[in-house]
Amino acid sequence: MLINDRIDSLPTDEVAGYKIRAGKPLPFGVSHVPNGLNFSIYTSCGTSCTLVLFEKGQPEPFAEIPFPENYRIGDVYSMVVFDLDFEVLEYGYRIDGPYNPEQGNRFDNQKILMDPYARQISGRDIWATEPDWNNIYPYRARVSFDDFDWEGDKPLEIAPNDLIIYETHVRAFTQSPSAKSSFPGTYAGLVDKIPYLKELGINCIELMPIFEFDEFENSRIHEDTGERLYNFWGYSTLGFFAPKAAFASSGKFGMQVDEFKQLVKSFHAAGIEVMLDVVFNHTSEGNENGPTLSFKGLDNKTYYMLTPEGYYFNFSGTGNTLNCNNPIVRSLVVDCLRYWVAEYHIDGFRFDLASILGRDPYGAPLSNPPLLESLAFDPILSSCKLIAEAWDAGGLYQVGSFPAFGRWGEWNGKYRDCARQFLKGDANKVGQIAQRIQGSPDLYQHSGRSPATSINFITCHDGFTLADLVSFNEKHNEANGEGNRDGGNDNDSWNCGAEGWTEDVGIQSLRRKQMMNALSILFTSRGIPMLLMGDEFGRSQNGNNNAYCIDSSLSWVNWDLLESNKKLYEVVKTLIEIRHQHPALRVNEFEGNGAHSVGLPSCSFHGQQAWSPDWSAESRQIAWMMTTDQTGEANRADIVYVVANMAHYASWFNLPESPNGYRWKFNINTGDENQPVSPPNSFLNEGGILVGDRSVVIFTADPIR
Amino acid sequence: MTLSITSAAGEDYILISLEGDVDTKTAPELLAALTAHDLASAKQLRLDIKGVNFMSSAGLRALVFSKQKMSHDATVYVIGANQEIADVITKTGLSMAVTMVASADAI
Repeated sequence: MLINDRIDSLPTDEVAGYKIRAGKPLPFGVSHVPNGLNFSIYTSCGTSCTLVLFEKGQPEPFAEIPFPENYRIGDVYSMVVFDLDFEVLEYGYRIDGPYNPEQGNRFDNQKILMDPYARQISGRDIWATEPDWNNIYPYRARVSFDDFDWEGDKPLEIAPNDLIIYETHVRAFTQSPSAKSSFPGTYAGLVDKIPYLKELGINCIELMPIFEFDEFENSRIHEDTGERLYNFWGYSTLGFFAPKAAFASSGKFGMQVDEFKQLVKSFHAAGIEVMLDVVFNHTSEGNENGPTLSFKGLDNKTYYMLTPEGYYFNFSGTGNTLNCNNPIVRSLVVDCLRYWVAEYHIDGFRFDLASILGRDPYGAPLSNPPLLESLAFDPILSSCKLIAEAWDAGGLYQVGSFPAFGRWGEWNGKYRDCARQFLKGDANKVGQIAQRIQGSPDLYQHSGRSPATSINFITCHDGFTLADLVSFNEKHNEANGEGNRDGGNDNDSWNCGAEGWTEDVGIQSLRRKQMMNALSILFTSRGIPMLLMGDEFGRSQNGNNNAYCIDSSLSWVNWDLLESNKKLYEVVKTLIEIRHQHPALRVNEFEGNGAHSVGLPSCSFHGQQAWSPDWSAESRQIAWMMTTDQTGEANRADIVYVVANMAHYASWFNLPESPNGYRWKFNINTGDENQPVSPPNSFLNEGGILVGDRSVVIFTADPIR
Repeated sequence: MTLSITSAAGEDYILISLEGDVDTKTAPELLAALTAHDLASAKQLRLDIKGVNFMSSAGLRALVFSKQKMSHDATVYVIGANQEIADVITKTGLSMAVTMVASADAI
């Protein structure tokens, strides 16, 4: 065939009966070349390397091909192997080298190691199918095609300040029978929910980890319930380049790459970005007692932060810490993210325990971490969102001080804490909540950052759901099998008068109102709001604030609640609509011009008297006005006025006079139990309003026609 | 399990009927049968897979491959895919390349 007629399409050597030739060191991993596959693997301290080949699922390899010494350039072994049936191929490596843990080396040529660049991994193809525990190579690198037809799709590049993020777990979202999905718990199942998400109005979905992980890692049987506990959340990466096979309905066919790309393409077609929660702070190899799967046997001291004695630093709280600011590891991370953006069209990343990414090889925080800088200025990543969980398990807390290089956003933990405290009526909170509502200028303005730096949230996967936040004072994590010791104790939650489920209608009604209040504040704050899956209809985990190991109806979204909590859902849908319709809420500068046309500042705070906020400790009443001038077709002032009364008694609020030609229109009144979403064209006819106890009212200035 | 392939050229279409499993061993035969035809000038390709129980990713890719070889206004019909194969085709995005029908009468 003419097309393959290149000089390098022919073998030069034969080893173990396989035709081979020296390969190309870059790219790392496996790539397709004419008539063969190019394998490239890095080890700085290994002394020799053997390619191990399996036919899919077979217990023993069918070939072991040692790399001839002349196939090594620098620290990289590369080889082209011809005539392999790559559709059923699984491959790994054996590396020879010293075993002297005190000097950081843990080579063991008895172990077959997974390629860190594996784009597809088999071994956990179908969720929770008990594996063969004696498999000599449990997680196997495979070759992917990467030939998906995108039909012109590309990342959406929605402006950060226009985003509304929805945090989801692929399996939890549609696994429940109540989801009525034909492909429960999978990427395909999630795609079937796009019409729902579109109707809700979100424009960015953030997926909890979808990099290949082992749901059986630390799996155990609960002593009391007999239930099997899993690594359900998946914050423990096996392979950074491979989508989780068991989340694909086609995983058993090895088609997860295509199914996940189809997911991204489908979300993009609906105008929804796809963001990934990525875990680069540690791997699933644990500490010195953990398994040797890949990095540990390839180049332990390159990939992990080690103590001078050769033990593993544990800033992640999970046993090991990836040595992110080593240049080799840094390249791996950059290559990985580039791959997901270029090959999967991913729109952004949220980095789990991102503060670890800014530590030096001995764990000390760096002021200019090279990894974070590389990512911030990378040409392929230049338009994708980078969001840090700006703390780690080693005590580094960097909300407001994460090294951002003008690019990084942050999960704003201070927003969450303050909003929760304000919501339950804590004293001395109005001053701080005013900062949070503006996009936290106290944290971000001095360093020249903008409100959209702040990912505002009240709940996320980690902690109580919104319904539980208003139903439980204490965590109830018995189902996790750790005697209720796991999970955070600082929840700033309030059960509204009874712990957990209650028949008291007064308490039930207050809880509904508190949920509406929370989200009313969230969606009228500047910054990027993030909603946790199911919070829009009151999803509960029965007070479990750390359901990382639960794969049951406790952690799955119960879609029946959508019907029973319809009013809450309607409020959330309306709040999102208000946010989309009112650019004043999405202004992305701290010193905005405001509605110049009517002489109103960009953001102002008020109290029961207009223009006169009460900042005192006992004040629980605050109002805020957000404004901007709309240009173009609209060509008018855009004004939103929000009144929040978190006192346990009704309070009268005078409103500022609406500008000439405008009147105040009701949008939401959480104090109106029967009709929290105001009917169209209800206007304020007085100078003020009696706001119910613990209630939020949202007005917009409507032009008088 | 072997794959038997029969080919026929209709007036304005190519018909290929398969019996057996399309796996990694037999997918190259399917590909050879497809490329034996002048796909570039064909207006319609019909793949009858009523007799196929299993189709591996290599087999599915052969379908997309033939579509790419054909002209833009040409159509590839997949006739009688079983539920499992139909699901995989739909969920992995391959359905943009082919049109699935239950029987040739629906064309």
